[in-house]
Amino acid sequence: MTSTTYENPAAPETDLRRRGIRIGDLLFKGIAIAAALAATILLGWIAFKVFDLAWPAIQDFGLSFIWTEAWDPVTQQFGALIFIYGTVVTSLIALVLATPLSIAIALFLTEIAPRRLAAPIATMVELLAAIPSVVLGLWGILVFGPWVTQHLDPWIQDTPLGLLPIFSGTPSAGGSIFTAGLVLTIMIIPITSAICRELFIRVPKDLTDGALALGSTRWEAIRGVMFAYAAPGIAAAVLLGLGRAFGEAIAVNQTIGNHNAIPSSWFEAGDSLGSKVASEYVGATSLAQASSILYLAAILMVISLATNVVAQFIVVRFERARRAV
Amino acid sequence: MSELTIDPYDITVKSNGLRRRRIVEKVFGVLAISSAVLACGILVVVLGTLVVKGFSSLSLDFFTKARPLYGEQGGIADALIGSALIVGMAMLIAIPISVLVAIYMSEYAGPRVARALKIVLDVLNGVPAIVVGIFVFGILVVGHGQSAVYGAFALAILMLPMVARATQEILEIVPRSLRDASFALGVTKWRTTWSIVLPAAIGGILTGVVIAVARVAGETAPLLFTTSIAANQVSLDVHGALPTLPVLIFVNSESPDPGEQSAAWAAALVLIAFVLVMNILAKLFAGRKRRQLEGS
Amino acid sequence: MKRILAAGLVLLAVVALAAFAGRTQTASAKPTAGSLVGTGATFPFPLISKWIPAVDNALGIKITYSATGSGAGIAQITARTVDFGASDAPLSPDQLTACKGCVVIPWALAGMSIPYNLPSVNKRLVLNGPVLANIYLGNITSWNAAAIKALNPGVDLPDQKITVVYRSDGSGSTYAFTNYLSTVSPQWKSKVGVNTSVNFPAGTGARGSSGVAGVVKSTVGALTYVDAAYSITNKFQFALIKNRAGGNATPGVRGVQAALCELPAKVTNLSQLKIVDPSAKCGKKAYPISTFTYVIVPTASGDKAADLRKFVYWAVTAGQKFGPGLFFVPLPKAVNGFNYREIKKIQAGS
Repeated sequence: MTSTTYENPAAPETDLRRRGIRIGDLLFKGIAIAAALAATILLGWIAFKVFDLAWPAIQDFGLSFIWTEAWDPVTQQFGALIFIYGTVVTSLIALVLATPLSIAIALFLTEIAPRRLAAPIATMVELLAAIPSVVLGLWGILVFGPWVTQHLDPWIQDTPLGLLPIFSGTPSAGGSIFTAGLVLTIMIIPITSAICRELFIRVPKDLTDGALALGSTRWEAIRGVMFAYAAPGIAAAVLLGLGRAFGEAIAVNQTIGNHNAIPSSWFEAGDSLGSKVASEYVGATSLAQASSILYLAAILMVISLATNVVAQFIVVRFERARRAV
Repeated sequence: MSELTIDPYDITVKSNGLRRRRIVEKVFGVLAISSAVLACGILVVVLGTLVVKGFSSLSLDFFTKARPLYGEQGGIADALIGSALIVGMAMLIAIPISVLVAIYMSEYAGPRVARALKIVLDVLNGVPAIVVGIFVFGILVVGHGQSAVYGAFALAILMLPMVARATQEILEIVPRSLRDASFALGVTKWRTTWSIVLPAAIGGILTGVVIAVARVAGETAPLLFTTSIAANQVSLDVHGALPTLPVLIFVNSESPDPGEQSAAWAAALVLIAFVLVMNILAKLFAGRKRRQLEGS
Repeated sequence: MKRILAAGLVLLAVVALAAFAGRTQTASAKPTAGSLVGTGATFPFPLISKWIPAVDNALGIKITYSATGSGAGIAQITARTVDFGASDAPLSPDQLTACKGCVVIPWALAGMSIPYNLPSVNKRLVLNGPVLANIYLGNITSWNAAAIKALNPGVDLPDQKITVVYRSDGSGSTYAFTNYLSTVSPQWKSKVGVNTSVNFPAGTGARGSSGVAGVVKSTVGALTYVDAAYSITNKFQFALIKNRAGGNATPGVRGVQAALCELPAKVTNLSQLKIVDPSAKCGKKAYPISTFTYVIVPTASGDKAADLRKFVYWAVTAGQKFGPGLFFVPLPKAVNGFNYREIKKIQAGS
């Protein structure tokens, strides 16, 4: 007997299909899950591998490595303090100089500049972010560094700032903490100012209009309303810039002077975590030295990640508060 | 009856209040403008130095000869090709995985899983490039030797969070109605995603890719550990190490030899030109697809 | 839009094809037989650069060498990421154990020059071991210090800060230089010591022979230690070093050759290759800061063993003739027996 069922193109043809299970979908979902898993495992693997390679040094030196001020391959005494100092100080210099500049640039682009001028200038600031760090380092060694040593440092020493011990002494040729800090400033200005610009655009216009209507000047409205509104976002932007500054190894390596000591003056040479790893890792000739360098990398990783996580946390809280408003 | 003579001008402007506030306003206005001028100034100085110092080295030889041995003349041809191959391979590795991760986050995952993955990607984005370089060195280079493929793998790790987040954001902008219409017509989910949602999002994905490529083309640290020992000749053999532009710039930047320094400047100029073109492309893609999506 | 996408995909496919077209082996990531990859000391780089085309012509072997510092040479060959390593510092017992069966063969010899940047001084300055040690310890900070004046009577020394420059990477040059300083200065020996990487008390660091030369070239008053070839190429003024015989020696071929006078007639192990701070017997020309530089090869080198033996043998025999033009001294006959014996140890074994 011939079948009396019709061939309905929309109806499921196989048993599986009838139950709503589709192979194509399963496969695709499976690949997508695999990719997501891979990304997560990668992050964990990176953290694991760095600590694994650093483990001999962690066992040998323990936590006191972090505040030990020594780096002597001859006596195999190693400590991170010199490099933590370099990383923290250069990044702080960058933070202190870049934050007001970035906020000012963002304000200029959102409040002051006429529309037609704002777009190209915003593009130029973005392009500053696009300069690869090795290129900035090249410029730092051959052009900017000598200018800082020969002109900027003596100028600072002529001002009242020159009385501070951190600005004393003959500026060191061949790189210094201050030069590296200035190069980092140039690197993080675009990041921080781009985020601030996004923040300022999103401030509800009626809030500032209200302040202006009550008789405040433009600047008072900005200071009182915009900053208050955007404060968490600015904090997050600053932290993201700081995280970037912490992790920068190449441009700092080219401009910090590579000296194993905590200098008494910022015009002298020092070294940072990322920079030391870049200099010495390929050349470490003993297990103690190699794993100590990895210990430095692990500390760097922890500092960067912590800064990043705190920034994310602030952003999440910020979003939640905004939605509640 | 005496007249009340209160002149508002006396109260506000003359009594220092408004005048001082107006001066403060002008000062901060000037500061804001100066900051913007300073930032633009720095960009002009850096690019200007690159152009002035690098331009004179650009020549046919420069683009056709490999890096010279000690005491000879040469060019950057081998580093140029090495960089192109490595970045190309990094794209091949990173793009499919990144897009898949983003698809999972936006099409399949529940809100909590998606948020967790967002955090994973953002944290991955914050891992310093030098740590990624050490990681790849530790798991791949040790015992096997350097290879351009390992360098590409390291760069792909750097690209992954950028492309994945950009793709995920654009996928969320693609209107739900597009997917719903497709399901209503009986199209399977994977087909919908592949043939309908992805093409709609392609502009945003390309923008993310181009930005990631621009950023990763200039990365030095991961390449230092994976592909820095290479012969001074043009080579297509990606199983060995290949020379690259960023490593060339890094090594030559500390050299006293004026020839090596000008090679570094010129290589930097080429790199910046590439990055600028990529950034312009990104803007073009972003503008075009946003218009298309908003129009639909 | 679709067309741009298609073009992009085609481009990517072409890149992928080109990339995998170079594939000849499936498993190994190292280049094919007939080519050797090495890394290490910057000191012999000028000489190795001359060897690379010559070896290609004579033996058909393509050598790839990257100057990353002796420390990296030792570390990378230990990790077997390259086929041979190069170092100016001989391996310590710990490093030899870690290398798991490596031979260390001296393949070049040259002097470590002490260049400085003082455009106002025309005459070549004379320095000696104790003064150099004090400069590097940070005890002497200015060019017109009494100790330097005493060695250079009649020379008008400027009141200029001495910028001490040292190698920031793991360097065999650092090993050779600190070896010399430890021999002539007990204070240096106890405070700093000898190694490829030491805790320099003063100054700035730079990477590679190139890097230190770069700082000296751009900084007035700077001083560093770097092999003679780099000083000559960059037209640096370099110091004459007063040796034990009282002569002011230069790091040229004759100066280094004179320092070899105390070598045994037949060298049987590397510890006999001490040529630093030679005694007065070696005469007034003997240059006190000379160093051998070594190639490090695993005794179990798999399919590269034959090529490595040929290359190293060529380097220690025919290759030596490229030396004098670059201020490298041809290896003394005393090391020939030792070298040939060590080269024979390079086998394919596992």
